Amino acid sequence: MMTTTATTTPTAPEPAAVEAVGLRKQFGRIHAVDGVDLALAPGRIYGLLGPNGSGKTTLIRMLAGLARATGGEARILGTKMPSRPMLARIGYMPQAEALYPELSVGENLGFFASLLGRRDRAAIDGVLDLVELRDRKGTPALELSGGMRRRLSLACTLVHDPEVIFLDEPTVGVDPALRVQFWAHFRRLSAAGTTILVASHVMDEADRCDELVFMRDGRVIGRGTGAELRERAGTTDLEAAFLALSGLDAEGNPVAVREPAHGGDA
Amino acid sequence: MSPGRILAIARRIAQGFRRDERTLGLMFVVPLVVTALLGWVLNEQVDAIVDVAIVNEAGEVGDRIVTAMEDAATETDSDITVAAALGPGGTPEAEAMVRDGRADLAIVIPADLLERVLAGERPTLTVITEGTDPAAEMGRFGTLQSIMANVAAELVPPGANPPVLPEVERRTIYLSPDASQADVLAPIFLGFFGYFFVFLLTGVSFLRERIGGTLERLLATPVTRFEIVTGYSLGFGIFATIQVIALTLFILNSVDVPAIGPLPPFSIGLGVDAAGSPLLAFAIALLLSLGAVNLGIFLSTFARTELQVIQFIPLVIVPQALLSGILWPTERLPDVLRAISDVLPLTYAVDGLREVMLKGSDLTSVAVQTDLAVLGGIALFFVVLASLTIKREVA
Repeated sequence: MMTTTATTTPTAPEPAAVEAVGLRKQFGRIHAVDGVDLALAPGRIYGLLGPNGSGKTTLIRMLAGLARATGGEARILGTKMPSRPMLARIGYMPQAEALYPELSVGENLGFFASLLGRRDRAAIDGVLDLVELRDRKGTPALELSGGMRRRLSLACTLVHDPEVIFLDEPTVGVDPALRVQFWAHFRRLSAAGTTILVASHVMDEADRCDELVFMRDGRVIGRGTGAELRERAGTTDLEAAFLALSGLDAEGNPVAVREPAHGGDA
Repeated sequence: MSPGRILAIARRIAQGFRRDERTLGLMFVVPLVVTALLGWVLNEQVDAIVDVAIVNEAGEVGDRIVTAMEDAATETDSDITVAAALGPGGTPEAEAMVRDGRADLAIVIPADLLERVLAGERPTLTVITEGTDPAAEMGRFGTLQSIMANVAAELVPPGANPPVLPEVERRTIYLSPDASQADVLAPIFLGFFGYFFVFLLTGVSFLRERIGGTLERLLATPVTRFEIVTGYSLGFGIFATIQVIALTLFILNSVDVPAIGPLPPFSIGLGVDAAGSPLLAFAIALLLSLGAVNLGIFLSTFARTELQVIQFIPLVIVPQALLSGILWPTERLPDVLRAISDVLPLTYAVDGLREVMLKGSDLTSVAVQTDLAVLGGIALFFVVLASLTIKREVA
C-alpha cells in the first residue's frame, strides 16, 4: 500500500484506514476538492478543519462513497470507493438532521439499522443508552428537542458498529455538557480501533483530536497534531495557526495575493 | 437485492402513515364524500322546470300552439311553465325576459306559420336562449322538443290525419337502458382517485427524502436504488390497496341515510352493480397506482418544495383527466391529442375498468389483456425512470 501523504505521519508503517490519492471533485468550473492526498491511520481521531466552502463536506462525501471523484482515488480499509459492501462498515453523519420526523426514535433507528444489516435489539438499545434516548424510544422525532434529534442522528450513524466514521459537524446545536459526552464516546470508539474523521469549523473541538487536517480552497494546507501546527505557525492558539497557514493575517485578510477562493460545501 | 431492505423501506412508509392520522383518514373520507356527493347528484337529479316565454306572430293558428303548451304546462309532473304569452311584436320583451332570468327560453311562432303548413312545408320556430351554459340549455331544449312532439298533433289541419310517428324502444347490450350516470362513471373514479392520491403522496414523501437529508443517509448504507424504488412501490402499494378497497366498497355498495332534520334522505356510495370481477378491477387500479408511485419519485427530482410538487397536478393530472376518455371518447380526439392519449396510463386504466366493471370482461378478453400489459409496461418504464433519478451522487 502506498503512502502519499503530503506531510509525514508518525504512525506511517501501519496500513491506512482512510486513503485519498490526488482526489478531485469538480462541479462545472468549480474545483470543490482540488487534489487531496491523505492517509489516516486506524484507531485515531482526525479533525478536518477549514472555513465554510473549503471543500470539507465534498471530501467527506467522496470518502464515504456518496459522491464520485472526478479525479484521483479514495480507499477505505484498502477498498476503492465507491464500493457498496464497504458502506456497511462506514458510519456517516450528515450535516442535516436526516431523520423521519413522523417516526419514533426507535423506528428511525430500527430503519437505518436494518438497512445496515444490524436489526438486533441489543445493538439498538445499546446505542440508545449511549445517546441517552432509551426512555424516548416511542417518541416521534418531531417532538424531540434539537439536541435530542442530533443525538438520535448520531445513534443512527453508530448503530452498526462501523470501523470508519465520518462526522460532518456533529456537535452543531449540541450543548457543552452533551458535547463532552459525545467526545468521551468518540474516544472510547477510537480506543477500540475505530477511525474517526470529524469535520468542523469550531476550533475548540480541534484540540480533542489526535491529529488535524487544515483545508482551504479544496486543498490540504497543513496537517499534524495541534502542538505541531502551533509550533510551525509560531503561535499559541490554533485559530492563529490556521490563519497563518492559510496565508492570512490576524484579521483574516490575505497576506499574499492568491487566486480568488472557490469551491463549496455542496 | 435484499428482501430485508425492501421490506424495511416499505415498513418505514407504513409506520409514517400510521402516525399521520389525517392522511389515513382522508383515504376513507375522500371516497366517502365523493361517492356520496356523486350518487346524490347523479341519481336524484331534479328535472329543472323550464320557464318559457312564447311570442305568437301567427295570430289564431298560433294560439292553438300557445294553448297546447299552456295545457301541457298545467299537467302534473310538467317540465315547463309558461312565463308569458306575448302577441305580435313581443320578441324584444321575450328577449328581455330571457336576459333578466324571468324566462329560461323564448319561442317565437312565425307569422307565416299557416302559409307554410298549407303549402306542405315545415314551419320554423325560433328558440331564443341565453347561450352561456350549453349543457343546461341542451337539457332545456330536450324538454322543449318532447313537448313540441305532443303539440305537433295540434297543428294538423282539421279533417286531416295526424302524422304517424313510430315509437322508439331502446335496448342495450350492457347495463340497462336507464343506467344512471353513476354506473358509467364508477369505474373511472376507481382509477382516477387512486392515481391522483398516490401520485401526490409519493411525490411529496420522496421530495422530503431528498431535501431532508434522509435520502443521503439512505444512500450511505448498502441499499441499492432498485431496492429503494421497490420498497417505495411496496409501501405505497399498501396505501393504494387500502384506498382502492375503500373506493371499491363505496362504489359497489350503498347505504341509505334517512332524513335528518332539514336534510332530505340520501345515500352514501353508488351501489353500482359491477358486471365483472371486482378483483380484476382492483388489479387494474393497483397496476395504475404502481406507475403513479414511480412517477411521483421521478417528478420529485424536479421539485424543490412541496408546493412545487402540487404544481405538477395541472401538468400530470389534468391532461389525463381530459384526454383519457373520461369526458370524451378517445376516438373523437384530434390526431395529435389522440397520440398523447395513447401514452397516458389512465387511458388504459379507464378502458380496462370499463371493460371489467361495465361489460363484465375477464382475463380472456383481448382488451383487458392489452390494458393490463400496457399498464404493466408503463409502470415498469417509470420504475426504471425513478431509479435513474436516485443517484449516490446527490450534490
